[in-house]
This record gives sequence, structure tokens and C-alpha cells, in this order.
Amino acid sequence: MKILIVEDEKSLREDVIDYLSQNGYKCDFATTIQSALSKLKETTYVCALVDVGLPDGSGIEVVAHIKKINPEMGIIIVTAKNSLEDKLEGLKIGADDYLTKPFHLSELNARINSVIRRRNFGGKNTLSFEGLEIDPIEKRVIANNIQLQLTKKEYDILVFLANSPTHLITKEALADAIWGDKAEMATSFDFVYSQIKNLKKKLNEAGLKNYIKVVYGMGYKFKD
Amino acid sequence: MKLLTKTNIFSFATNIVLFAIGLAIVYKVILAKLDKEADRQLLYTKSQIIKGLNDGISPNEFMANIGQKIYVRKINKQSIFTNIFIEYAGKEFSKKSSSKDGIIQRELLFQTKIGKQAYEITICISLAEGKQIGEYISIVVFIFLLVSFFLIFLLNRYISDYLWSPFNDTLSQIKTWNIKKQNNLNFKNTDIDEFHLLNDTLKDLTQQIKSDYLNLKEFTENVSHETQTPLAIISTKIEMLMQETNYTEKQNQLLVHTYNATQRLYKLNKGLILLTRIENKQFIETSLINLAHVFDEKINILEDFLEAKSIVIERVYNKVVIKEINADLLSILLDNLLINAIKYNLEESGMIKITIDEESFSVENTSFKEKINPQFLFERFNKNSISGSLGLGLSLIKRIVDFYNWHVSYSCKDGIHKFKIYL
Repeated sequence: MKILIVEDEKSLREDVIDYLSQNGYKCDFATTIQSALSKLKETTYVCALVDVGLPDGSGIEVVAHIKKINPEMGIIIVTAKNSLEDKLEGLKIGADDYLTKPFHLSELNARINSVIRRRNFGGKNTLSFEGLEIDPIEKRVIANNIQLQLTKKEYDILVFLANSPTHLITKEALADAIWGDKAEMATSFDFVYSQIKNLKKKLNEAGLKNYIKVVYGMGYKFKD
Repeated sequence: MKLLTKTNIFSFATNIVLFAIGLAIVYKVILAKLDKEADRQLLYTKSQIIKGLNDGISPNEFMANIGQKIYVRKINKQSIFTNIFIEYAGKEFSKKSSSKDGIIQRELLFQTKIGKQAYEITICISLAEGKQIGEYISIVVFIFLLVSFFLIFLLNRYISDYLWSPFNDTLSQIKTWNIKKQNNLNFKNTDIDEFHLLNDTLKDLTQQIKSDYLNLKEFTENVSHETQTPLAIISTKIEMLMQETNYTEKQNQLLVHTYNATQRLYKLNKGLILLTRIENKQFIETSLINLAHVFDEKINILEDFLEAKSIVIERVYNKVVIKEINADLLSILLDNLLINAIKYNLEESGMIKITIDEESFSVENTSFKEKINPQFLFERFNKNSISGSLGLGLSLIKRIVDFYNWHVSYSCKDGIHKFKIYL
């Protein structure tokens, strides 16, 4: 599955490509609108990550172009501005999701996964691990053939962690993804920790031990 | 007070004083002139009398000719050698100054020697007529001044409307001028130098303000963009570093601290950009919003945290309050009020009470904190808070409340902190 990264900031682009490659995606990149358009002519991608602020104009142009040539393609826009107008314009023109800089790589990965899953590329729309199956469409978790009863937040956390297996996910990244702009509160009184504790307990009871590992002081890892 | 009224008051006061002085001077000058004229006539008569006496003509013959009373008395010895002028006010003769005896007169008394005989001669001349003329002139002048004063007053009134019309036009244009709108100022042409200068200055000034504003806006956006991109790079680099596993305890610590500081910097940056955006009045679209609905929605979102601290929520919605405001700003305001109320609440069995009245709403909460000093409450970065918090929340509350010309008050009684916002 190929992803096109349209981002002019070299350092950020390399990290994104690095991280997504580790998660099984093949990445191409473009640094300008022009190069993005020529890449889109050559190859078919499942998803594009488009920075709004490009050196030769607004990334919104790229989004509009993609919608014209391949409406099936998933699009996530990245904006450095906190401005609502950019986000709204991007979503209106057909982007599936948006991220504000700076974002957590794990969050980016989760968003891309979810966009692709929604479009059902490759026929596979569940997250499967040994003894564990997560169905994001039905919002159902099957552990060793038993359906787990999770709260909404526990489910969200599990999906987010399962989207980037074997990667360290910081508790800030997790809090941002689950609680959005209330994330500061979630981290300020170890709310994430207590949710994870409950989640781990439920997985343990279903016989799935060590699916979530706590890395002290840093965050969490799914399926080390 | 209008400028015209003020100038009128000043010119009125000055004019009255000047008129009074002027009138007095005119009157005095006329009188002095009359006296001088009378003296000249008296002296002329005197020379005639002396000439007549020398020629042996009785002075009484002059009286018939010149209409002046002349009294001639023979005396033994000349004792006065100069001319003595005496002026009688009418009342010395009679209380009624208008009666024939009570006329004001001027006398010349002198003694002279004709041959061996000394005479004392008094010549009287009536001043009544002259004085009356003086009074008439004064009255005419007075009336003329009064009329001209009144006319000037009226004229000022009508002329000022016409003269000040370019100024009033300028004023009404600046009043409606909005920095965010693309309307340029188009002042009326005027041939009055001062107004012309004013218009030119205003044009320059507004252009300067506008370009400063645009620069500031651009700067804000640039700051947002330019700092967030490197921040994003730092943040992702650290996250990448964290993916590695073979670290010593010390390296691990360093990594965690660096990461946490970056996260704080990011949130700080976000908060500051938000504050600047409010200050730049970039939240202008409004819609009709039911306050109670937004509160309910917020409580729903914050449910996790309320449950975690087992905080009891009490809602007292006395009135349906619907306001036309910006949804984002209201959301930020209520978020900050509620988040503070949760964050600083008791660890167990805490309470939050939300009250909505017609003209106000309030959020009350139990807390582990003492009363906050209200003096510094809404200052930016007043870290009157548990560590990790940025102290921007209250500043944001204040900024938004100010933006809508509302008023926020803080009180603390029996361990219950209360933020009340008057709409």
C-alpha cells in the first residue's frame, strides 16, 4: 500500500516516512504542488498526506486535484496553523481528516490506518493479532473468541495502541488522540494510567497477557 | 458640551466686559470733550467781557447775545488771578434734576481789574444739552452693540453648521471605520486648512494602523507556523528516539524530561496563539446559542474526569439564556471554567454547581486550594496552580469576557470557589 507524503520540511518528512515504513507502508514524497501532481500521474496511492503550507502554494490545490483524478483516495491534510478556516476548507473540499502540527507520529499512523480501513482497501478491515481481533466498523473486540466488554475510552485506547504495534506510544500522544483538547487534563491526573490499568485487567482476564506493556516514565507499547 | 456653546460662553463673557469698559470710555470721552468745548466758550466769553468792560459796555448786554448767564460784582481788591472752573451737578440746586433750575452747568469764575476797579465775574454755561447728547450717543452705541452681538451669535450658530460639516463628516466616517473591513476612508474635500490637515493626518494614521495590524496578523500566523514546524520536528525526533530500547536509566530520564518540556512548549505556543487571536478579534462569526445546551454538552465530554474524581454536578438553570456569540469563544470559556473547577476540586466527594440566570451564569466548586488573591487572578502566567498547568486558563477567561463586554467576578466562601459572569 503506497502513501504519498506532500511535505516540504525535510526533517519532518523523513521521520514520517521512517515511521510509516516501519508500519508496513511504502512511501513516496513530493515537496511542491508541481511535483505532487506529477507523482499522482505516475502512481496510484491509497492515501495522501498533504501539508497545507507548501512553497509554491496551498496544499488545498493538491487535495482538489486528487479529488478530481481519484476520488477513492484517502487524504489527510496537515496544517501548521491552528486556524479553523484551513481545516474547514480542507474537509469541505474532500479531505478525510486533518492534523495540526506538531502531531504525534503514532497519531498520524492511527489516522492513516483508519482512513484506509474506512475505504476497505485490500479487503481487510479488522485489526488482528494472536488471539485478539478488533473490528473498528462494528466497534467490537474479540479476545480468544469471547467478546470483551470495554468502555468507550478503553476501546479507543486499545484501537489506538493496536494501530501502531511494537511502537512506543507516549501517554501525551494517547491522551491527545483520545481526549483531544482535554488531553492536558487527562495527563495531569494520571487518567491515562488508570484507563490502561483497567484495559490491561480486562485483557488479562480474557487470557491475553502482556499485550500492553508499560514503559516506565515514557508510555506504552502494544504487543512488544 | 458642544464646542460652539463653549466658545459662545467665552465670547459672551469677554464681550460683556469689553462692551462695559468700551461704553464707559465712550461716555467719559464724550463728557470730557463737552467740558473742553464749554471751557473754550467760557474763555471766549471772558475775553469778550474784558474787552467790553474796557470799552465801557455792560456785560449784561452779552447775556442777551450769547445765551450765557454772566454775574458781575465789583470788589475792593483782586485776590484771585487764575480762572476757576466749577461744575455743578444739578442736584445742588434742586433734587429734581429735570427741573429748569436743576440743570447741570459749568461756571468760570475770575477776577479782573479794569482801570482802578476790580471785578469778580462768573460766567455760567448749561451743560444739560451736551450731557443729554452724550447719553443719547451712549444709548445708541449700546443698542447697536447689543444688536450686533445678538446677530453674531445667531450667525455663528448657522455658519458653524456649515463650517463644521467636513469635520462632522470625517467624524462619522472614523466612527464606522473598522480595521478588519476593507473600506477606505473617503473624506469630503474642504478648503479649510485645519480640516484638510486633520483629514490627511487621519488618512495617514489609519493607513499606518491598518498596515501595522496586517503585519501583526501576519506575524502571528508566521509565529504559529514557524515555531510549530520546528516543534513538530523536535517532538517527532524525540518520539523516534524513544522507539529505541537500549538506553541506560539516565538516558531514559533525559529523554522523558526533554519530551515533557517539548509538550509544554507546544501547549504554551497553542495557548498564546489563541490569546493573540482573541485579542486580534479574529472570532467574529456569531450564532444564537443556548447556554444550557453548551454546558450540558461540556459536562458530557468531561464525564470521564468528573467520574474519576467522583464529583457531583448540580445544575440550576433558572432561565433559558440564548446569546448571539461566537461558538468557539463560548466553548473555550466554558471549557476553561469547568476544567479549572475539576482540576482544583477535592480528590473525593467534590461538588460543582452551575447556575444560569437571566443576566449571569456561575460555576461554583469545592477545592483543596485556599482563596486565590483576586488581584493577580487573571494575570497571564500567574502560576497560582498545580505544576504542569500553564496559568493561561484564567487569562483566556478574562480575555473572552472582556471581548463581549461582560464582567467576571471571583469569590470564595466556606471553601467554595465561585466564578460568576455577568452578561
